[in-house]
Amino acid sequence: MDLHSFGVTKKSKFWLDPRTKITMLLIVNIVLMGGGYSGLSAFLRPTLALLPLGLLIIESKLKAALYYLIFVSLAMSCEIFLVSQTAGLINLLLVIASGLLSRFVPPLVMGYYVVSTTKISEFVAAMEGMHLPRQIIIPFSVMLRFFPTVAEENSAISDAMRMRGIRLGGKNASTVIEYRIVPMLMCTVKIGEELSAAALTRGLGKPTRRTNVCRVGLGLIDWILIIFSLTLLLLWIFLG
Amino acid sequence: MNNKLQAKDLINIGIFTAIYFVVFFATGMVGYIPVMMLVMPFLCPFMAGIPLMLFLTKVHKFGMITIMGLVLSILMILLGHPWVGLPFGILFPLLADLILKSGQYTDWQKIKTASMVFSLWIIGQFVPFFFMRDSYFATLRAGYGDVYADTLMAITPLWVFFVIIAFAALGGLAGALLGKSVLKKHFQRAGIA
Repeated sequence: MDLHSFGVTKKSKFWLDPRTKITMLLIVNIVLMGGGYSGLSAFLRPTLALLPLGLLIIESKLKAALYYLIFVSLAMSCEIFLVSQTAGLINLLLVIASGLLSRFVPPLVMGYYVVSTTKISEFVAAMEGMHLPRQIIIPFSVMLRFFPTVAEENSAISDAMRMRGIRLGGKNASTVIEYRIVPMLMCTVKIGEELSAAALTRGLGKPTRRTNVCRVGLGLIDWILIIFSLTLLLLWIFLG
Repeated sequence: MNNKLQAKDLINIGIFTAIYFVVFFATGMVGYIPVMMLVMPFLCPFMAGIPLMLFLTKVHKFGMITIMGLVLSILMILLGHPWVGLPFGILFPLLADLILKSGQYTDWQKIKTASMVFSLWIIGQFVPFFFMRDSYFATLRAGYGDVYADTLMAITPLWVFFVIIAFAALGGLAGALLGKSVLKKHFQRAGIA
Protein backbone atom coordinates (compact mmCIF):
# COMPACT_ATOMS: atom_id res chain seq x y z
CA MET A 1 0.00 0.00 0.00
CA ASP A 2 1.15 3.49 -0.72
CA LEU A 3 1.27 4.98 2.73
CA HIS A 4 1.40 8.51 1.38
CA SER A 5 -1.72 8.04 -0.65
CA PHE A 6 -3.96 9.79 1.86
CA GLY A 7 -3.53 13.53 1.62
CA VAL A 8 -2.72 14.27 -1.99
CA THR A 9 -2.37 18.00 -2.43
CA LYS A 10 -3.54 18.46 -5.98
CA LYS A 11 -7.11 19.64 -6.27
CA SER A 12 -9.20 17.59 -8.65
CA LYS A 13 -11.52 19.35 -11.07
CA PHE A 14 -14.22 16.85 -10.25
CA TRP A 15 -14.55 17.37 -6.54
CA LEU A 16 -16.84 15.21 -4.46
CA ASP A 17 -17.73 15.55 -0.83
CA PRO A 18 -16.09 12.81 1.26
CA ARG A 19 -19.55 11.86 2.53
CA THR A 20 -20.67 11.14 -1.03
CA LYS A 21 -17.60 8.98 -1.57
CA ILE A 22 -18.21 7.06 1.63
CA THR A 23 -21.88 6.50 0.77
CA MET A 24 -20.96 5.17 -2.65
CA LEU A 25 -18.19 3.03 -1.20
CA LEU A 26 -20.55 1.43 1.30
CA ILE A 27 -23.24 0.77 -1.29
CA VAL A 28 -20.81 -0.75 -3.79
CA ASN A 29 -19.42 -2.83 -0.94
CA ILE A 30 -22.81 -4.10 0.26
CA VAL A 31 -24.38 -4.83 -3.13
CA LEU A 32 -21.39 -6.42 -4.81
CA MET A 33 -20.43 -8.52 -1.78
CA GLY A 34 -24.04 -9.67 -1.55
CA GLY A 35 -23.75 -11.40 -4.87
CA GLY A 36 -26.32 -13.15 -6.99
CA TYR A 37 -27.57 -12.63 -10.52
CA SER A 38 -31.21 -13.54 -10.15
CA GLY A 39 -33.87 -11.19 -11.42
CA LEU A 40 -32.99 -7.53 -11.35
CA SER A 41 -29.55 -8.15 -9.79
CA ALA A 42 -28.25 -9.23 -13.17
CA PHE A 43 -28.67 -5.62 -14.16
CA LEU A 44 -28.02 -3.84 -10.86
CA ARG A 45 -24.65 -5.31 -9.97
CA PRO A 46 -22.92 -4.58 -13.28
CA THR A 47 -24.38 -1.06 -13.17
CA LEU A 48 -22.93 -0.46 -9.74
CA ALA A 49 -19.63 -1.95 -10.82
CA LEU A 50 -19.52 0.76 -13.48
CA LEU A 51 -19.43 3.42 -10.77
CA PRO A 52 -15.75 2.92 -9.79
CA LEU A 53 -14.91 2.72 -13.49
CA GLY A 54 -16.49 6.09 -14.21
CA LEU A 55 -14.72 7.65 -11.24
CA LEU A 56 -11.36 6.26 -12.34
CA ILE A 57 -11.87 7.67 -15.83
CA ILE A 58 -12.86 11.08 -14.47
CA GLU A 59 -9.72 11.09 -12.34
CA SER A 60 -7.87 10.27 -15.62
CA LYS A 61 -6.42 7.07 -14.17
CA LEU A 62 -6.94 5.47 -17.56
CA LYS A 63 -4.59 2.53 -17.17
CA ALA A 64 -6.20 1.47 -13.91
CA ALA A 65 -9.62 1.96 -15.48
CA LEU A 66 -8.73 -0.29 -18.41
CA TYR A 67 -7.45 -3.09 -16.16
CA TYR A 68 -10.51 -2.74 -13.98
CA LEU A 69 -12.83 -2.93 -16.98
CA ILE A 70 -11.12 -6.04 -18.35
CA PHE A 71 -10.96 -7.90 -15.03
CA VAL A 72 -14.44 -7.17 -13.80
CA SER A 73 -16.26 -7.60 -17.11
CA LEU A 74 -14.42 -10.89 -17.68
CA ALA A 75 -15.27 -12.09 -14.20
CA MET A 76 -18.90 -11.05 -14.44
CA SER A 77 -19.50 -12.49 -17.87
CA CYS A 78 -17.79 -15.68 -16.71
CA GLU A 79 -20.16 -15.85 -13.80
CA ILE A 80 -23.24 -15.16 -15.88
CA PHE A 81 -22.53 -17.17 -19.03
CA LEU A 82 -19.65 -19.61 -18.63
CA VAL A 83 -20.44 -21.14 -15.26
CA SER A 84 -23.58 -22.80 -16.60
CA GLN A 85 -21.72 -24.19 -19.63
CA THR A 86 -18.89 -26.00 -17.88
CA ALA A 87 -18.63 -28.83 -15.40
CA GLY A 88 -16.19 -30.50 -13.04
CA LEU A 89 -12.87 -28.98 -12.04
CA ILE A 90 -12.92 -26.19 -14.63
CA ASN A 91 -16.31 -25.15 -13.36
CA LEU A 92 -15.08 -25.09 -9.76
CA LEU A 93 -12.07 -22.97 -10.69
CA LEU A 94 -14.26 -20.61 -12.69
CA VAL A 95 -16.78 -20.25 -9.89
CA ILE A 96 -14.12 -19.46 -7.32
CA ALA A 97 -12.01 -17.16 -9.48
CA SER A 98 -14.80 -15.17 -11.08
CA GLY A 99 -16.82 -15.07 -7.87
CA LEU A 100 -13.91 -13.64 -5.92
CA LEU A 101 -12.93 -11.14 -8.61
CA SER A 102 -16.40 -9.80 -9.25
CA ARG A 103 -17.07 -9.50 -5.53
CA PHE A 104 -13.85 -8.11 -4.13
CA VAL A 105 -12.33 -6.02 -6.91
CA PRO A 106 -15.01 -3.29 -7.27
CA PRO A 107 -15.02 -2.41 -3.54
CA LEU A 108 -11.22 -2.43 -3.46
CA VAL A 109 -11.02 -0.11 -6.47
CA MET A 110 -13.65 2.11 -4.91
CA GLY A 111 -11.57 2.20 -1.73
CA TYR A 112 -8.51 3.11 -3.76
CA TYR A 113 -10.45 5.98 -5.32
CA VAL A 114 -11.65 7.28 -1.96
CA VAL A 115 -8.24 7.08 -0.31
CA SER A 116 -6.31 8.59 -3.21
CA THR A 117 -8.62 11.56 -3.81
CA THR A 118 -9.47 12.68 -0.28
CA LYS A 119 -7.31 14.95 1.82
CA ILE A 120 -7.06 14.08 5.49
CA SER A 121 -8.45 17.43 6.62
CA GLU A 122 -11.37 17.11 4.21
CA PHE A 123 -12.01 13.75 5.70
CA VAL A 124 -11.93 15.08 9.24
CA ALA A 125 -14.26 17.95 8.26
CA ALA A 126 -16.69 15.47 6.74
CA MET A 127 -16.58 13.26 9.84
CA GLU A 128 -17.35 16.31 11.97
CA GLY A 129 -20.19 17.07 9.57
CA MET A 130 -21.54 13.59 10.21
CA HIS A 131 -21.51 14.39 13.96
CA LEU A 132 -19.25 11.48 14.84
CA PRO A 133 -17.98 11.71 18.43
CA ARG A 134 -14.47 13.08 18.94
CA GLN A 135 -13.51 9.76 20.51
CA ILE A 136 -13.50 8.44 16.96
CA ILE A 137 -12.40 11.51 15.03
CA ILE A 138 -9.24 12.21 17.04
CA PRO A 139 -7.77 8.68 16.94
CA PHE A 140 -8.69 8.37 13.28
CA SER A 141 -7.06 11.61 12.18
CA VAL A 142 -3.98 10.93 14.32
CA MET A 143 -3.71 7.51 12.73
CA LEU A 144 -3.89 8.91 9.19
CA ARG A 145 -1.39 11.62 10.08
CA PHE A 146 0.90 8.93 11.46
CA PHE A 147 1.14 6.57 8.50
CA PRO A 148 3.71 8.65 6.58
CA THR A 149 5.78 8.97 9.77
CA VAL A 150 5.83 5.23 10.31
CA ALA A 151 6.75 4.65 6.67
CA GLU A 152 9.57 7.20 6.87
CA GLU A 153 11.05 5.73 10.03
CA ASN A 154 10.70 2.28 8.58
CA SER A 155 12.67 3.10 5.45
CA ALA A 156 15.40 4.79 7.52
CA ILE A 157 15.70 1.76 9.77
CA SER A 158 15.63 -0.49 6.76
CA ASP A 159 18.63 1.38 5.30
CA ALA A 160 20.54 1.17 8.55
CA MET A 161 19.88 -2.54 8.91
CA ARG A 162 20.85 -3.24 5.32
CA MET A 163 24.21 -1.71 6.08
CA ARG A 164 24.63 -4.25 8.85
CA GLY A 165 23.53 -7.08 6.57
CA ILE A 166 20.28 -7.67 8.39
CA ARG A 167 17.70 -8.34 5.72
CA LEU A 168 15.49 -11.11 4.43
CA GLY A 169 17.66 -13.60 2.61
CA GLY A 170 20.83 -12.23 4.18
CA LYS A 171 22.97 -14.12 6.65
CA ASN A 172 21.14 -12.63 9.61
CA ALA A 173 17.60 -13.26 8.42
CA SER A 174 16.38 -14.55 11.79
CA THR A 175 17.05 -11.25 13.49
CA VAL A 176 15.14 -9.24 10.88
CA ILE A 177 11.90 -9.02 12.83
CA GLU A 178 13.40 -7.99 16.13
CA TYR A 179 15.88 -5.54 14.63
CA ARG A 180 13.28 -3.79 12.53
CA ILE A 181 10.13 -3.71 14.63
CA VAL A 182 11.80 -2.77 17.91
CA PRO A 183 13.64 0.35 16.65
CA MET A 184 10.55 1.36 14.70
CA LEU A 185 8.43 1.17 17.83
CA MET A 186 11.04 3.10 19.82
CA CYS A 187 11.08 5.92 17.25
CA THR A 188 7.36 6.12 16.68
CA VAL A 189 6.50 6.05 20.38
CA LYS A 190 8.88 8.96 21.01
CA ILE A 191 7.51 10.88 18.01
CA GLY A 192 4.01 10.09 19.19
CA GLU A 193 4.69 11.58 22.60
CA GLU A 194 5.96 14.76 20.99
CA LEU A 195 3.02 14.89 18.60
CA SER A 196 0.67 14.43 21.51
CA ALA A 197 2.25 17.31 23.42
CA ALA A 198 2.15 19.54 20.34
CA ALA A 199 -1.49 18.75 19.63
CA LEU A 200 -2.47 19.44 23.23
CA THR A 201 -0.68 22.78 23.12
CA ARG A 202 -2.77 23.67 20.12
CA GLY A 203 -5.94 22.95 22.01
CA LEU A 204 -6.91 19.48 20.79
CA GLY A 205 -8.01 18.61 24.31
CA LYS A 206 -10.50 21.44 24.39
CA PRO A 207 -14.07 20.11 24.55
CA THR A 208 -15.52 22.75 22.20
CA ARG A 209 -16.13 22.38 18.50
CA ARG A 210 -13.09 23.12 16.35
CA THR A 211 -13.08 24.97 13.06
CA ASN A 212 -11.63 23.54 9.89
CA VAL A 213 -10.11 25.36 6.91
CA CYS A 214 -11.49 22.79 4.51
CA ARG A 215 -14.82 23.65 2.96
CA VAL A 216 -16.93 20.55 2.52
CA GLY A 217 -20.48 20.59 1.30
CA LEU A 218 -22.84 18.55 -0.79
CA GLY A 219 -23.23 19.94 -4.30
CA LEU A 220 -25.53 18.98 -7.14
CA ILE A 221 -23.27 16.17 -8.42
CA ASP A 222 -23.03 14.81 -4.89
CA TRP A 223 -26.79 14.59 -4.53
CA ILE A 224 -27.18 13.01 -7.97
CA LEU A 225 -24.59 10.34 -7.18
CA ILE A 226 -26.02 9.68 -3.71
CA ILE A 227 -29.57 9.36 -5.01
CA PHE A 228 -28.42 7.20 -7.92
CA SER A 229 -26.55 4.74 -5.74
CA LEU A 230 -29.22 4.75 -3.03
CA THR A 231 -31.88 3.94 -5.63
CA LEU A 232 -29.80 1.02 -6.85
CA LEU A 233 -29.33 -0.19 -3.27
CA LEU A 234 -33.06 0.00 -2.50
CA LEU A 235 -33.94 -1.74 -5.76
CA TRP A 236 -31.42 -4.45 -4.95
CA ILE A 237 -32.81 -4.95 -1.44
CA PHE A 238 -36.49 -5.04 -2.38
CA LEU A 239 -36.54 -6.39 -5.91
CA GLY A 240 -33.13 -8.00 -6.53
CA MET B 1 -8.60 8.18 39.06
CA ASN B 2 -10.28 9.93 36.17
CA ASN B 3 -11.99 7.33 34.04
CA LYS B 4 -13.01 9.52 31.13
CA LEU B 5 -10.85 9.30 28.03
CA GLN B 6 -8.61 12.35 27.69
CA ALA B 7 -7.27 13.81 24.47
CA LYS B 8 -3.89 12.24 25.27
CA ASP B 9 -5.48 8.80 25.42
CA LEU B 10 -7.23 9.37 22.11
CA ILE B 11 -3.96 10.42 20.47
CA ASN B 12 -2.27 7.33 21.89
CA ILE B 13 -5.00 5.16 20.36
CA GLY B 14 -4.38 6.79 16.98
CA ILE B 15 -0.62 6.29 17.15
CA PHE B 16 -0.76 2.67 18.16
CA THR B 17 -3.53 1.85 15.73
CA ALA B 18 -1.31 3.21 12.96
CA ILE B 19 1.67 1.11 14.06
CA TYR B 20 -0.54 -1.94 14.58
CA PHE B 21 -2.05 -1.54 11.14
CA VAL B 22 1.32 -1.10 9.41
CA VAL B 23 2.77 -4.21 11.05
CA PHE B 24 -0.45 -6.08 10.35
CA PHE B 25 -0.60 -4.98 6.73
CA ALA B 26 3.07 -5.65 6.04
CA THR B 27 2.68 -9.16 7.46
CA GLY B 28 -0.57 -9.55 5.53
CA MET B 29 1.37 -9.17 2.28
CA VAL B 30 2.30 -12.85 2.57
CA GLY B 31 -1.41 -13.52 2.02
CA TYR B 32 -0.90 -12.84 -1.66
CA ILE B 33 0.88 -16.17 -1.93
CA PRO B 34 -2.19 -18.41 -2.18
CA VAL B 35 -1.09 -21.15 0.22
CA MET B 36 -0.08 -18.58 2.83
CA MET B 37 -3.61 -17.21 2.86
CA LEU B 38 -4.47 -19.75 5.52
CA VAL B 39 -1.43 -18.94 7.64
CA MET B 40 -2.18 -15.23 7.52
CA PRO B 41 -4.76 -15.23 10.35
CA PHE B 42 -2.04 -16.69 12.57
CA LEU B 43 0.93 -14.68 11.36
CA CYS B 44 -0.70 -11.23 11.43
CA PRO B 45 -1.84 -11.20 15.07
CA PHE B 46 1.46 -12.86 15.99
CA MET B 47 3.62 -10.08 14.57
CA ALA B 48 1.20 -7.35 15.61
CA GLY B 49 1.42 -8.69 19.15
CA ILE B 50 4.50 -6.53 19.78
CA PRO B 51 2.77 -3.17 19.18
CA LEU B 52 -0.39 -4.46 20.85
CA MET B 53 1.45 -5.37 24.05
CA LEU B 54 3.20 -2.01 24.07
CA PHE B 55 -0.18 -0.33 23.61
CA LEU B 56 -1.66 -2.30 26.49
CA THR B 57 0.97 -0.88 28.85
CA LYS B 58 -0.56 2.55 28.12
CA VAL B 59 -4.16 1.42 28.50
CA HIS B 60 -5.71 1.99 31.89
CA LYS B 61 -9.20 3.08 30.93
CA PHE B 62 -12.22 1.31 29.56
CA GLY B 63 -12.98 1.91 25.89
CA MET B 64 -9.50 2.34 24.43
CA ILE B 65 -9.31 -1.14 22.92
CA THR B 66 -12.87 -0.86 21.62
CA ILE B 67 -12.08 2.42 19.87
CA MET B 68 -8.94 0.87 18.40
CA GLY B 69 -10.99 -1.95 16.92
CA LEU B 70 -13.58 0.49 15.62
CA VAL B 71 -10.99 2.75 13.97
CA LEU B 72 -9.24 -0.27 12.44
CA SER B 73 -12.54 -1.53 11.01
CA ILE B 74 -13.45 1.87 9.55
CA LEU B 75 -10.05 2.01 7.89
CA MET B 76 -10.51 -1.49 6.48
CA ILE B 77 -13.88 -0.49 5.00
CA LEU B 78 -12.42 2.68 3.51
CA LEU B 79 -9.76 0.55 1.85
CA GLY B 80 -12.55 -1.49 0.28
CA HIS B 81 -12.63 -4.56 2.50
CA PRO B 82 -15.96 -6.26 3.23
CA TRP B 83 -18.35 -4.21 5.36
CA VAL B 84 -19.17 -7.32 7.40
CA GLY B 85 -15.85 -6.75 9.16
CA LEU B 86 -17.28 -3.84 11.15
CA PRO B 87 -19.53 -5.73 13.61
CA PHE B 88 -16.68 -8.16 14.28
CA GLY B 89 -14.26 -5.27 14.67
CA ILE B 90 -16.46 -3.80 17.40
CA LEU B 91 -17.62 -6.97 19.16
CA PHE B 92 -14.29 -8.72 19.77
CA PRO B 93 -12.32 -5.64 20.86
CA LEU B 94 -15.21 -4.78 23.21
CA LEU B 95 -15.00 -8.26 24.74
CA ALA B 96 -11.22 -7.87 25.04
CA ASP B 97 -11.81 -4.54 26.76
CA LEU B 98 -14.20 -6.12 29.27
CA ILE B 99 -11.72 -8.90 29.99
CA LEU B 100 -8.93 -6.40 30.55
CA LYS B 101 -11.15 -4.29 32.81
CA SER B 102 -11.91 -7.30 34.97
CA GLY B 103 -8.15 -7.70 35.46
CA GLN B 104 -7.58 -3.99 36.18
CA TYR B 105 -5.51 -3.84 32.96
CA THR B 106 -2.50 -5.41 34.71
CA ASP B 107 -3.38 -9.08 35.23
CA TRP B 108 -1.09 -11.00 32.85
CA GLN B 109 -3.48 -13.96 32.45
CA LYS B 110 -6.29 -11.58 31.51
CA ILE B 111 -4.00 -9.72 29.10
CA LYS B 112 -3.20 -12.99 27.32
CA THR B 113 -6.90 -13.83 26.98
CA ALA B 114 -7.71 -10.32 25.83
CA SER B 115 -5.03 -10.49 23.15
CA MET B 116 -6.54 -13.75 21.90
CA VAL B 117 -10.04 -12.29 21.81
CA PHE B 118 -8.91 -9.04 20.22
CA SER B 119 -7.16 -10.91 17.41
CA LEU B 120 -10.46 -12.45 16.39
CA TRP B 121 -11.48 -9.17 14.73
CA ILE B 122 -9.67 -10.44 11.65
CA ILE B 123 -12.19 -13.24 11.05
CA GLY B 124 -14.73 -10.64 9.96
CA GLN B 125 -12.61 -10.21 6.85
CA PHE B 126 -13.05 -13.89 6.03
CA VAL B 127 -16.78 -14.13 6.58
CA PRO B 128 -17.76 -13.29 2.97
CA PHE B 129 -15.61 -16.17 1.73
CA PHE B 130 -17.69 -18.63 3.67
CA PHE B 131 -21.11 -17.31 4.60
CA MET B 132 -22.12 -14.70 2.06
CA ARG B 133 -22.14 -17.54 -0.42
CA ASP B 134 -25.54 -18.58 0.84
CA SER B 135 -27.15 -16.12 -1.52
CA TYR B 136 -24.80 -17.30 -4.21
CA PHE B 137 -25.67 -20.93 -3.68
CA ALA B 138 -29.36 -20.11 -3.61
CA THR B 139 -28.98 -18.65 -7.09
CA LEU B 140 -27.05 -21.71 -8.23
CA ARG B 141 -29.69 -24.03 -6.82
CA ALA B 142 -32.40 -22.24 -8.76
CA GLY B 143 -30.37 -22.40 -11.95
CA TYR B 144 -28.61 -25.77 -11.92
CA GLY B 145 -30.48 -27.98 -9.49
CA ASP B 146 -29.75 -29.38 -6.05
CA VAL B 147 -27.12 -31.96 -6.96
CA TYR B 148 -24.83 -29.39 -8.48
CA ALA B 149 -25.15 -26.91 -5.62
CA ASP B 150 -24.64 -29.61 -2.98
CA THR B 151 -21.52 -30.89 -4.68
CA LEU B 152 -20.04 -27.46 -4.81
CA MET B 153 -20.87 -26.86 -1.17
CA ALA B 154 -19.20 -30.14 -0.26
CA ILE B 155 -15.91 -29.29 -1.96
CA THR B 156 -15.60 -25.92 -0.26
CA PRO B 157 -15.74 -26.96 3.35
CA LEU B 158 -16.93 -24.82 6.20
CA TRP B 159 -14.44 -26.29 8.67
CA VAL B 160 -11.73 -24.15 7.15
CA PHE B 161 -13.50 -21.21 8.72
CA PHE B 162 -13.11 -22.72 12.18
CA VAL B 163 -9.47 -23.43 11.47
CA ILE B 164 -9.12 -19.72 10.71
CA ILE B 165 -10.76 -18.81 14.01
CA ALA B 166 -8.42 -21.16 15.86
CA PHE B 167 -5.42 -19.75 14.00
CA ALA B 168 -6.39 -16.19 14.84
CA ALA B 169 -6.80 -17.03 18.54
CA LEU B 170 -3.48 -18.90 18.61
CA GLY B 171 -1.84 -16.00 16.82
CA GLY B 172 -3.17 -13.63 19.46
CA LEU B 173 -1.80 -15.83 22.23
CA ALA B 174 1.60 -16.27 20.59
CA GLY B 175 1.68 -12.57 19.83
CA ALA B 176 1.06 -11.76 23.49
CA LEU B 177 3.96 -13.99 24.53
CA LEU B 178 6.23 -12.54 21.85
CA GLY B 179 5.22 -9.01 22.75
CA LYS B 180 5.83 -9.64 26.43
CA SER B 181 9.33 -11.02 25.86
CA VAL B 182 10.20 -8.13 23.53
CA LEU B 183 8.87 -5.64 26.07
CA LYS B 184 10.99 -7.21 28.78
CA LYS B 185 14.10 -7.33 26.64
CA HIS B 186 13.94 -3.86 25.12
CA PHE B 187 11.27 -1.47 26.19
CA GLN B 188 11.32 -1.82 29.97
CA ARG B 189 15.07 -1.29 29.98
CA ALA B 190 14.62 1.80 27.82
CA GLY B 191 11.91 3.05 30.13
CA ILE B 192 9.23 3.19 27.46
CA ALA B 193 6.90 0.47 28.67
